[in-house]
Amino acid sequence: MSRLTTLKDLLWHFVKQRRFFFVPLLLVLLLAGALLLVTTGLGYVAPFVYTLF
Amino acid sequence: MAAVLGVSAYYHDAAAALVIDGRLVAAQQEERLSRVKNDASLPRHAIDACLRMGGIEGRALDRVVFYENPYRKLERVLVSSLGAFPRGARFFARALRSQLGEKLWVLDALASHCGVDRRKVDFVDHHRSHAASALWCAPFGDAAALTVDGVGEEDTTAIWRQGTSGPERVASLGHPHSLGLFYAAITAYLGFAVNEGEYKVMGLAAYGTPRFVSEMETLLQRLEDGSFRLNARAFRDHLDLERAFGPRFEALLGPARDPRTPWDLEGDDVRYADVAASAQLALEEAMLSLSAETHRRTGAANLCLAGGVALNCCANARVLAEGDFARVFVQPAAGDAGGALGAALLGAQQCGDTPRIERFVADLGVEADAARAQEVAVHLGLVVERVDPVERAADELAEGKVVAWVRGRAEWGPRALGHRSLLARADDVGIRDELNRRIKGREPFRPFAPAVLSDRAPSLLEDAPSDMTPFMAAVCRVREGAALAGATHVDGTARAQTVGLDDSLAPLLKAVAQRGMDGLLNTSLNAAGEPLVARVTDALDFFVRRKPDVLYVEDVRITRP
Repeated sequence: MSRLTTLKDLLWHFVKQRRFFFVPLLLVLLLAGALLLVTTGLGYVAPFVYTLF
Repeated sequence: MAAVLGVSAYYHDAAAALVIDGRLVAAQQEERLSRVKNDASLPRHAIDACLRMGGIEGRALDRVVFYENPYRKLERVLVSSLGAFPRGARFFARALRSQLGEKLWVLDALASHCGVDRRKVDFVDHHRSHAASALWCAPFGDAAALTVDGVGEEDTTAIWRQGTSGPERVASLGHPHSLGLFYAAITAYLGFAVNEGEYKVMGLAAYGTPRFVSEMETLLQRLEDGSFRLNARAFRDHLDLERAFGPRFEALLGPARDPRTPWDLEGDDVRYADVAASAQLALEEAMLSLSAETHRRTGAANLCLAGGVALNCCANARVLAEGDFARVFVQPAAGDAGGALGAALLGAQQCGDTPRIERFVADLGVEADAARAQEVAVHLGLVVERVDPVERAADELAEGKVVAWVRGRAEWGPRALGHRSLLARADDVGIRDELNRRIKGREPFRPFAPAVLSDRAPSLLEDAPSDMTPFMAAVCRVREGAALAGATHVDGTARAQTVGLDDSLAPLLKAVAQRGMDGLLNTSLNAAGEPLVARVTDALDFFVRRKPDVLYVEDVRITRP
């Protein structure tokens, strides 16, 4: 929950600074990070994650 | 009436500081407790120690304040990395991993560690933290602040005046134009570790001749408005901070020094000493220009310096001696650790308290536990006795012994100021060399500092005492006839500590004065590459490994059998 506050503050910061082009980049990176976190330890997912990076 | 914790972390020198009802209660650097030099990790040990010293639990904190804006920092890293694309691709990936993996979530980590609601955790700007840490701790009013470091969020240099609601920014300079990064590149070029070896460059400079002045002007160009520009093409801090200089830098100054070769200051290393002297001169001239501009813009009578560059005690001395300000103050933890202190003070003010520091002292860290020292020393088979430490240590110092001295609370900032010190005769060059070689294990060119009573300082040192000398923040020229040869650098200066008559080191200095000594050599209680000791167990560990002659923890005298 507290991380959602950070995410909201981060996105608000980039919007306030009119750095709109960073928002999709950050979202993709954070989603990729979340994907890695969720799939940690799932051996059958690893080959697909490997091909992504 | 608020309890506010300030925190710095995730670059270098992580630290915590606790302010309760506007009063500074505790300040502790993480490295002293984790025993990792320049530890940058979230300062969990330091936070816990500050809370213990303040007698409160984390969940009772009214506010936790981080010393910089993590979102602006991320933005700057992204922008500068993308600006260097494609050369910076590898750095970009590394920076992103570090920023998104850990640094971005610092406020959440602080809330979790302290057990406070996330809404109580906030941040202030990096350079504003520095300015607050200096302005509110200064022993005078009517002051401006000049903050100079590597880089904060974007700013590298800023001029401040004291406003009604804290420091007010008057002017600033942004990345990449940075005196801190300039000096970091020189540090790396000379084979020292960045963010650690800068003071070695300052010590080395005294051995050289500044014959690379025009080359330095190519790298660091001073402008008429008091600011400066770095020749960005010669630097590569945006690609690799550990090797912050590029090929153009080496084309100008010659090949960088191989850090694996031993120092030979009468042979091949003369050129590197000359580079260090030239860089030091360029830095000092830039600081003088910035100081003049600060005076012009603020009209203040006095100046506070803060940021990592304010740890350059040679530059500080010149700003006081040649600048326009009557008095100059440097808070002892002027680098990033000090940002934690500034953040706590700013947080206290945001909570409605007025920061009140009548007389700033540096002994803000963990207390020396003599009973614990006695217990552990007995367990280790060491000889322990309770004595009058002042008279007994004075006798031993007069005999030429090296005394490890642990008293009261640990120092805040990089200098040992008589709470976690190694002491020896200051008039004996032989002891200095033995300390460097056998006990400290440092490079041969590294100087030691003398501690002298403040009422005797004018007869021993030029420009002493000043507002900086109680914290060893400025060098002074040693007067002829002063018996301080072992603590005088090759250029005739010393980074002296002046000790007030009511300070805890004063009784020992008075006792050695009765035995004919002008002062004591005072160096930090650590070996090369180690953090300064804080806890008594670490003091005992040092005593057993490095073998100074005797260790005093309060009135407990410890020797080997």
